[in-house]
Amino acid sequence: MTEKYQSKTAERGFNRRPNRGAPVEKPKEGKQTFHRLMQYFSAERRHVLVLGAVVMTGVAASVAAPGFQSMAIDAVTQGSYDSLPRLLGFMTAGYLIYGLTSLCQGYLSASLSQKVIRRMRNDLFVHITALPVSAVDRHSHGDLMSRMTNDAENISNVISESLSSMFSGILTLIGTVGMMLWFSVPLTLLTCSTVVLTVAVTRFITKKMRVWFSKRQTLLGQLNGTIEEMIACSKTVTAYNMQERASEDFRTTADELTHAGIIADIISSSMGPLMNMLNNVSFVIVAVFGAWFALRGWISIGVISAFVIYSKQFSRPINEIAQLYGQIQTALAGAERIFAVLDEPAESTEGMTLPKLQESVIEFRHVNFAYVPEKPVIRDFSLKVDSGRQIALVGATGSGKTTIINLLLRFYEIDSGEILLNGIDIRKISTASLRDHIGIVLQDTVLFSDTVRNNLTYADPDITEEQLHIAAKQSNADKVIRHLPQKYDTVLTESGAGLSQGQRQLLAIGRAFVSNPDILILDEATSSVDTRTEKNIQQAMKELMKGRTSLIIAHRLSTIQDADMIVVMDHGEIKETGTHEELLKKKGIYHSLYMTQFAGRTI
Amino acid sequence: MARYLKKYWLIALLGALFMVGEVYVDLYQPRMMERIVNQGILGLGNNGVPDLSLVTSTGLRMILVVILGGTCGVMCGVLTNVFGQNLGNEVRKDCFERIMHFSFEQTDDFSAGSLITRITGDVTQVQNLAMQFTRGMVRCLMFLVGGSIALLSLDLSFKKVIMIAVPLIILEVGFIIWKTNPLFVLLQKRLDRVNSVIQENIAGVRVVKAFVQEKRETDRFNEANDALVQTQLRVLILISWMRPVMNIILNLATVAIIRIGADQVRAGLMAPGTIMAAVTYISQILNGMMMLAMIFQTLSRGAVSWKRLKEVLDTAPALKDGGKEAPEECGAVRFDHVNFHYPGNDEPVLKDISLDIRPGEFFAVIGSTGCGKSSLVQLIPRFYDASEGHVLVDGMDVKDYDLTVLRERISYVLQKSELFSTTIRDNILLSRPDASEEDVIRAAKTAQAHDFIMRQPQGYDTPVTEQGMSLSGGQRQRTAIARALLKNAKIFIFDDATSALDLKTEAALREELNRAMPDATIIMIAQRISSIMHADRIAVMDAGEIVGLGTHEELMNTCRVYRDIYESQLKGGVTYD
Repeated sequence: MTEKYQSKTAERGFNRRPNRGAPVEKPKEGKQTFHRLMQYFSAERRHVLVLGAVVMTGVAASVAAPGFQSMAIDAVTQGSYDSLPRLLGFMTAGYLIYGLTSLCQGYLSASLSQKVIRRMRNDLFVHITALPVSAVDRHSHGDLMSRMTNDAENISNVISESLSSMFSGILTLIGTVGMMLWFSVPLTLLTCSTVVLTVAVTRFITKKMRVWFSKRQTLLGQLNGTIEEMIACSKTVTAYNMQERASEDFRTTADELTHAGIIADIISSSMGPLMNMLNNVSFVIVAVFGAWFALRGWISIGVISAFVIYSKQFSRPINEIAQLYGQIQTALAGAERIFAVLDEPAESTEGMTLPKLQESVIEFRHVNFAYVPEKPVIRDFSLKVDSGRQIALVGATGSGKTTIINLLLRFYEIDSGEILLNGIDIRKISTASLRDHIGIVLQDTVLFSDTVRNNLTYADPDITEEQLHIAAKQSNADKVIRHLPQKYDTVLTESGAGLSQGQRQLLAIGRAFVSNPDILILDEATSSVDTRTEKNIQQAMKELMKGRTSLIIAHRLSTIQDADMIVVMDHGEIKETGTHEELLKKKGIYHSLYMTQFAGRTI
Repeated sequence: MARYLKKYWLIALLGALFMVGEVYVDLYQPRMMERIVNQGILGLGNNGVPDLSLVTSTGLRMILVVILGGTCGVMCGVLTNVFGQNLGNEVRKDCFERIMHFSFEQTDDFSAGSLITRITGDVTQVQNLAMQFTRGMVRCLMFLVGGSIALLSLDLSFKKVIMIAVPLIILEVGFIIWKTNPLFVLLQKRLDRVNSVIQENIAGVRVVKAFVQEKRETDRFNEANDALVQTQLRVLILISWMRPVMNIILNLATVAIIRIGADQVRAGLMAPGTIMAAVTYISQILNGMMMLAMIFQTLSRGAVSWKRLKEVLDTAPALKDGGKEAPEECGAVRFDHVNFHYPGNDEPVLKDISLDIRPGEFFAVIGSTGCGKSSLVQLIPRFYDASEGHVLVDGMDVKDYDLTVLRERISYVLQKSELFSTTIRDNILLSRPDASEEDVIRAAKTAQAHDFIMRQPQGYDTPVTEQGMSLSGGQRQRTAIARALLKNAKIFIFDDATSALDLKTEAALREELNRAMPDATIIMIAQRISSIMHADRIAVMDAGEIVGLGTHEELMNTCRVYRDIYESQLKGGVTYD
């Protein structure tokens, strides 16, 4: 996972500017998004203003310095050596100021971009944690990830860099034109016309380049996809003797990619020499006409040397602005994606806070629910769970067992009916308070890349060491922890630090013990856990359920035979309820489920 | 590297030559500029009267020269691109092919993630290195050396400027690279940290919410985010020193050139136009320095990448073909005193296993996780090699087989169903691309997959997305089973490949298997006793040893471990008719 989200800055190293001609995305509502984005910058108003002032000073210096340089050369040419030290002094000062301001500019725009990105990422994170589960489920995880990392980074880099470049570009342009006009109007017009030519050529090349770059991008994605898939599925590749076929496919795509890459890069690498050529041509034009003007006595010789510099200074920002435009468009498209997440309504935090519960009775009354309209998942579901009782939900995949958890914890809101806790509609209770009373152990064990201790004390960081050890013992997690290199201080990694699925589950049960909930939801793991660990898990779960109102989502019938009541679900409806013995006698769905599980012979 | 260079060295050389041409023009052009200014505009040879015809003729010549230079530049771009990208492509293809022939052990050693980055990121780095080196190195060396010579040939008194400015720039660039490189490593670490917090919160949203820990997670994120921002800022600020300082040095050098030039002009040793040429040269020299810095950056990254790629390319496939002629196919598998431990781990996984699996037998292996049952069957198609003893297929040691021939004889269904992102049909066809439509459907029907496939929006042509996430676990397993069944093999191995099937489906599959392939040897590993209790024989494994062998009934009477498993799954074995 992490490999995909390498920092762009780290990758680019010193070449921080994004690739020229990289594919440009178009935002849908550019203007609106831009305004919204600007709010992030307007929060740093003072910073932006200072940056603007610095840029302006820098531009003034960079425009003035060549002026002094040409005057200095003029002075040499005309033999007026007395004014030379003064002019050189001015020139030095101008260049020094320019250097210092561009240093400040780099410093200010870096810190500005980091301030903005930090706030943007924070806002996004806070909002994602505040989103209802249903909203998070709607997005693919990779998609949310890339919004938080790539988009955010892209935006802040591009905007902060581009803004100052754009600003300085426009100022330079104005300043240069002003200076040129002051020196000589006809020569200015001449220079401008050569610049128009340069811009036209640039635009033409960039347009061509974009086509090939996006083609290359697509092929690269395809190739990387193939690599990832073939390596991830290397066992299948080997088992079916697919190595040659896979390599053949790979070679074809790789060759296509190389072809597209060569063309794209040839076009982009021609840009430099062509620009160089055009610059020189425009120099000759300036020189020829300059000399002609000088012959006529219309301009001084130093003016020509100034124009040589100005004509360069003039075409650069124009090209830059053209490129920046594309980058800004892409950044805005990214910003749109971020704002789309920020615009999703957060979970409501309103509602009453429950006092400490003496008892906890859960009642479902005629509950209906559908994830997608017209595809009901829970139909007219009514069930009462008395305080301290253990209820097991049984049924095939898709029968709606897991959905009941989502509804009880208000991860999703029911469409009609009521769910009551001690007679209070759970929609009137604040989600935080409701969830405080419910503990869960989920099928896919989620542990955090933190120490074992912090994972166990997740619900209650203030728990004493003694209580922690008791919880670990009760959940059979202490055996797992004892074998870890740093015991409670072992940091779990994303991949689990060598813990098996079963061991992770024991830790999750330990975590539930620490949270000491009134109501417990257990979603049994389906994945194959070895027999010994499974015994440990079952024992721990039993211990955890003692005295708590419990809902167990059971995938193995053997684990639930002790439940006070078994609820058999099918297509979102309750089909049978009763104890294990009662249901077996009934010879209904439960009976046949049981028979396929254990008495395979009878089929 | 030499091997790859051999093929394209001529193109690289030509590219470099064109670069020489381009740079030569770049260096020559200021001279013409000087001539235009000195002779033409200032009219130094003409008593101070500008010579327009000289400006025009030199100007035209200059345009021609510049066009020539531009052409050289474009050609150089073409050639270096052809060189670099073809070279990168060759390396990429070779690496991929090499990886395809790695044993599992080798793939595990590298780790899949690292192999992927090598073949994507590292190849690009090497490619950039090749291109930058041919183009940039020539260019900046010529700028540096040529520019220096050109400048000094104008007048030796400019020597001082070069001697002060060049070391200063080297010092600056060196310092910044030295400072930033370790920061890049730190930066990547911090970024990983932020990513993993985000990842956990998205994947674990239910846990975070159920334990009402949004606040805590936000704090955890803020901490990671602040650390990242802080490091990133340090890097950015360090880098932002580079250009301005370089510019200051460059511009001060320009001032010095004019200063020195003015003295020379005053002394009558130099024409004023020379100053302008000198200014151009000094900026070329210093730009050459700047480029050199960039090249060193690419060079150091490229060298690291090349080392990583070389590791892949130099790894010889661990499994050697036996190449003996294969005996007739009958479907027999024999283990003869087999010991096995995973490479780099001395703990024995299989201890002295001897087993004789007969052709056409339905043979099952059961045992708790880590008992070695998966390792046992992985030895048959030589996913791994036995450490001691022999594994025989159809009477011949697997090490004597041609690998392709051996694996042709075995159809293996993995524990984790690996599906590719093509259509369901192509996924099934993978094991036998020339199979007919009827064969595919028959295999799918036997695997109990046909019905659900037909319910998919486009039937067999429905694309499987993101490693099969569009299908449920059971559906993926059935697709993988259909794929295995399509293969013309005598030996079928199911490595815990029915765990996600519900029992009814599993039973139907078993029945179909018996009917469709009565003489195939089926070796089935399972967790659930109900999956395998009908097997002809069942081997019970515990801690790398076979502790029981026989039918279900026999084992119930004789094998304690088997009875334990049975009882734990049956919970006291309720007798109910």
